[in-house]
Amino acid sequence: MITATVRIINKLGLHARPSAMLVTATSAWQSEVFFTKENVRVNGKSIMGVMMLAAEKGSEIIVEVDGPDEEEALEAICKVIRSGFNETD
Amino acid sequence: MIEKRTVIKGTPIAGGIALGQARILVPGRADIPEFSITSAGVKSEIAALERAVEKTVAELRQLRDSAGKKVGGAVAKIFEAQLLIASDFEFLNRVKSEISTLRRNAGSIYNSLVHETVNPLRSSADPYMRQMAQDVEAVAKKVLSHLIGRNQALGKLAANTILVGKSFTPGDILVYRQRRAIGFVSSEGGADSHMALIARGLMLPVAVADSVWTRIPDGCRLILNGSAGTIIIHPSEEDWQEYQRLKKRHGPALIRRIRKLPQIPPLTKDGKEIEIGANLSLPGPADDILSERKVPVGLYRTEFLFLAQSSFPDEETQYKYYDQIAEKFAGTSVVLRTFDLGYDKLSPDTVWTNEDNPALGWRGIRPMLEMKNVFKTQIRAILRASTRRNIKILLPMITELSEVEKARRMISQVKFKLRQEGIDFDADIEVGIMIEVPSAAMTAETLATKVDFMSIGTNDLTQYTLAADRMNSRIAYLYNSFHPAVLNLIKMTIDAGRKRGIPVTICGEVAGDLLGLPLFLGMGIDMLSVHPGRIVDLCRTIRKIDSNLVELMVPSVLSSGSPSAVISKLERFQAAVNETRN
Repeated sequence: MITATVRIINKLGLHARPSAMLVTATSAWQSEVFFTKENVRVNGKSIMGVMMLAAEKGSEIIVEVDGPDEEEALEAICKVIRSGFNETD
Repeated sequence: MIEKRTVIKGTPIAGGIALGQARILVPGRADIPEFSITSAGVKSEIAALERAVEKTVAELRQLRDSAGKKVGGAVAKIFEAQLLIASDFEFLNRVKSEISTLRRNAGSIYNSLVHETVNPLRSSADPYMRQMAQDVEAVAKKVLSHLIGRNQALGKLAANTILVGKSFTPGDILVYRQRRAIGFVSSEGGADSHMALIARGLMLPVAVADSVWTRIPDGCRLILNGSAGTIIIHPSEEDWQEYQRLKKRHGPALIRRIRKLPQIPPLTKDGKEIEIGANLSLPGPADDILSERKVPVGLYRTEFLFLAQSSFPDEETQYKYYDQIAEKFAGTSVVLRTFDLGYDKLSPDTVWTNEDNPALGWRGIRPMLEMKNVFKTQIRAILRASTRRNIKILLPMITELSEVEKARRMISQVKFKLRQEGIDFDADIEVGIMIEVPSAAMTAETLATKVDFMSIGTNDLTQYTLAADRMNSRIAYLYNSFHPAVLNLIKMTIDAGRKRGIPVTICGEVAGDLLGLPLFLGMGIDMLSVHPGRIVDLCRTIRKIDSNLVELMVPSVLSSGSPSAVISKLERFQAAVNETRN
C-alpha cells in the first residue's frame, strides 16, 4: 500500500463534476483506493463517499492505493487532482 | 428549528382541536414507509432495490444522451455525475448489508443512508456542496419512486399524528385521514380552498402558518387549535391539560349544534320561507341528523368519491354510493353535482396535464364534455339512483349555452339507453347549472331557459371576477365575495331566475356569512346551501329579518365602490337589526 497527500486546488472544490471525474479515474484501476480528509476515510471508487468528504479548495487529502497496479494508479489519480479537474473558470 | 415551547398564531382554516405529535412532510420527498421484513424477505427486498436502481440508471442514461444532443456536454455532465451516484456500488452494498442485518425494507434503509450522506453537505456554506446534496437527492427520489411506487409512498402513521407540510391537496386530506391523521398544519391554502372545505367536512382541524414546516421539529409534541389558528410547539403540561379539557367541551360540536335545529322551516319575520340546505362532500357524522330534520342537500360534491381513489370509479361503485345517499336523505332532496375536477383538487401525480394557467384551463364541466364515457357513466349511475325522485343533477362551471346543450344531450342519450334496457329512473329529474363564471352570470337569463335551477358558486365566481386566485395567500386581501362586482353578478343571476321562473341557490362560503344574509334575502334568493355547521345560526338570524325591509337596502349596497364600503353598510344594518330585537 502506498499513500500521497494532495491539495485540492480547483476553485470550486470536490463538487459533483470533479467528484465524478475523480471516481472515473479511480475506477479504472484494479487497486483499491481510499481518500482521507480530517479523519474521514472513504472508498475512492464511490462517488457518494467522495462527496461526503465535502473537500473545498485548499483542503488536503490523503490518497491511499493498495493493489497490483498501485504505483501507476497513485500517480494517475494525483495527476487528475493536481490538474484542477480541467476547471476553466 | 424550534426547541422550546412556542406559540405560533396562524390562520384558522378548519375548526377543532388536535393534540398529538408532529410529522413533517418535506415537500418533494416522498414519505417513505418503514417496516420489518422476515429473513426470507431480505432477498426480494434486495432484488427490488436492484431493479429500481437499474430503472433509474436507464432513465438517467436517456436524460444524459438527450441533454448532450440538445444542450451540450456541460449539462450532460450533470447526469454523468447522477449516473455514478445511482450506480455507486459501495453505497448500494451498504444498503444491501443493512437490509439483511436490520431486516427492514429497502426503501427505508436507502432513504436513511441517503440522508446520512447528504446532511453534512446540505449544511455546508459552499453552494456547490449544497448543489451536490441536491444531485444525490434527485437520484434518490428516482430510485425510491421506482422502489415503492407512487401510490404507496405514504406509509403508516403513528397514533395521533398531526401532519405538517408545505401544502395539502384535498386528496391528501382524504388519504391521510384514512391513515388516521388527526390534524393538519400547512403553509399554503385559504379558508375557501377545497382542502379547507373537505377538512371541515371531515371535522379535521387545519391551521395555516407561513413556512411552518421548516420550523417545527419532526416528532415533537404539538397542539393544534384549528378554530383559532393557534399552534403550540413543545406545549407545557398545563397547555396539554387545558386543551384536553377544551377538546372535550368542543368535541362533537357540529352534531350538537345541528340538534338545535328548529324543526319548522326557516321563515323571515314577515313569514317568507327560505330554504336552507347543507353542502356535503362525503358521508359524515352529521348525515343522520340532517336527514331526520329534513334538511335538503343543496350541494353534494361527488368528485370527493373520486379523490379517494386514483382512477375514475366505475358505474357500480358510483351507483352504490349515490343510492346510499338517496336512501339516507329519502325524506328530502339531494343535489348531486357531477365531477368538478380541476387543478386545485387533484394531487400532482394524477393524469392531469400541466397547464400554464390551470384555473382558466381544463376543469369543471370542460373535461367531462370531452371524456364522454366518464360523464355518461356518472349520469347513468345518478339516474339509476334517482328512483326515489329525490335527486337533482348539477353541472359545474358552465361558461356558455352550448355546454348546457351538450350535457343535456348526453343526459338524454343515457336516459334513452336506460329506457331501452328497462331500467327504472326519474324521467323528470331536474338538471341545474352552477353559475361561477362571470360570463354565465351575465347570460343567466338565456341559460335559465334550458335548465331547472341555478346555483351560484360564490367561491369561484369571486376568484374569476376579481382575477384573484383563492389559493394564493399573497393576494388574499383582494379575494372578497362582498366585492360589489361579485354582488352585482349574484343579483343578475337571481333576477334571471325570477324572470324565467326557476329557483336560485347560493352555495359558496359567503352563503353562510350572517353579514350577507339580509342582502341575499333582499335580492330574493330562494335557497342558501351552507356547511352544516352554519345552518343553526342562519335559521335563527332569518327570523329577525323582514324581507320587505331588506329589499330596500339592495340598490345602495350594490352601488358601493369597494368591499369595505359594502361591509360597513351591512354592519350598520346588522347592528340596527340587533337593536330592534333588544
